[in-house]
Amino acid sequence: MANQKAFYFDASSCIGCKACQNACKDKYDLPLGIRWRRVFEYGGGNWLFMDGVETPNNVFKYYVSTACQHCANPVCRDVCPAAAITKRADGIVLIDPDKCIGCRYCQWACPYGAPQFNEETKVMTKCTFCADLQDQGLNPACVDACVMRCLEVGDYEELRQKYGSLAAIEPLPTANITKPSLVITPHKHAQPSGQGTGSILSLSEEV
Amino acid sequence: MNARDWALITFTILVQMSVGSMWVLGVAHFLAARKYGNEEADRLSDRALFALVPVIALAFIASLLHLGNPFNAYRAVTNLGSSWLSREIFFGVIFAVLAFVFAFLQWRKIGPLLLRNVIAGLAALVGLVLVFSMSNVYMLQAEPAWNSWATPVSFFATTFLLGALAMGAAFAANYAYLQSKKADCADAQCTLMREALRWIAVAAVVLVGVELVVLPIYLASVAGGSAAGLASVKLMAGSLGWMLALRVILAIVGAGVFAIFLYQNAMSAGHEKMLGNLAYAAFVIVLVAEVLGRVLFYASHVRIGI
Repeated sequence: MANQKAFYFDASSCIGCKACQNACKDKYDLPLGIRWRRVFEYGGGNWLFMDGVETPNNVFKYYVSTACQHCANPVCRDVCPAAAITKRADGIVLIDPDKCIGCRYCQWACPYGAPQFNEETKVMTKCTFCADLQDQGLNPACVDACVMRCLEVGDYEELRQKYGSLAAIEPLPTANITKPSLVITPHKHAQPSGQGTGSILSLSEEV
Repeated sequence: MNARDWALITFTILVQMSVGSMWVLGVAHFLAARKYGNEEADRLSDRALFALVPVIALAFIASLLHLGNPFNAYRAVTNLGSSWLSREIFFGVIFAVLAFVFAFLQWRKIGPLLLRNVIAGLAALVGLVLVFSMSNVYMLQAEPAWNSWATPVSFFATTFLLGALAMGAAFAANYAYLQSKKADCADAQCTLMREALRWIAVAAVVLVGVELVVLPIYLASVAGGSAAGLASVKLMAGSLGWMLALRVILAIVGAGVFAIFLYQNAMSAGHEKMLGNLAYAAFVIVLVAEVLGRVLFYASHVRIGI
């Protein structure tokens, strides 16, 4: 796509502080249970029993911060029966709350868990890529909140040229379902999507 | 299971049962009319047809209950170009309208026979497209437990199994009603009901056979397909295993054992009371089995990703 805004995420420097998640939550005053940006802790590995001593062997852990990927193939938009989800010329995928019927079908279709149901307004909501800020030439709230500077926003092709073409590591789904507008620098222990030996370790959050 | 899931379970089960019922009614009426004339055929199937009207209405009311904003429900048909859910609702509405119009014309005996038959035939054909669309709604790439050939196969099996046994129970109730009214048509109607129930019993045994063959192949293919698929199968065989077992046992009892009794008792006249009770029991048992199957369907899907 000639014109597609995209997120860049540097998993090698993310410390899992969740400033991005909270900045998003704060800007949109999201109700309990809704997190448009989420930070996952992914890890695994084992301990070895050697000479009577337990020794950490291949234990690993890393963080993945993720939101809506504003995909090139937005399945949420395709499956929405109410035509409430649209993709702007700059690639940003948006839900129109006035058109949404609250059937939650997009929730089943999106492998990133991006569309989330708002129990108060009874319609689906999701990351807007801070379209309001981007239209003024500003960064999304999550990007500016990141203390480690591991989130960036930019043109998809330019980000790929700068950082490579990786768009999926565990626990994110394989990129071929929706063609996410996402560029990742992997953590040194990052595992390929769908072939991970670890699991999501983040505790459930009451936020 | 929350209220929203129950809305979907009610909607899908009742719609499938209604589509299957239209087919069973159509075939039964066609064969009855060839043998005993149109009037006796109407007497066999008219009341069963009228019973379908509230069932279809209930299905669509249930479907509204799963929406967050039902006032926007009319918008559900605005993405026919790419959304199978839009197509499902679209064909669902056409099916319902055709079925209601047909039931009304048949009730008042308005219009030529050919016109009524054409409307009924269209309703039955649209019903097949509806069940096909309904299957495709669930065949999402991110949902390996649903994205399988087994989804359409089992939806169609449910359609015809519930349609057949619902109409079997309806024919039995219709006959009991005619007898209580001491209608002078008892002999012909007795034969028609027995013959219909015999074929319904055969259909039930075949369809439950299909379900039993599909199940293990489906479980094996989903378990081997992906991590999310394996997680689904682990749910179905683990914490929800009792439900899967109960669902299979009830299907075998209702559509197997009871259907065989039904077939035997329908061979000769004189067991009408027994026949009626068997038809009611088979329908209720299989309805419970199919509802459990659908509960399992919604409770066991595990989406790929996060």
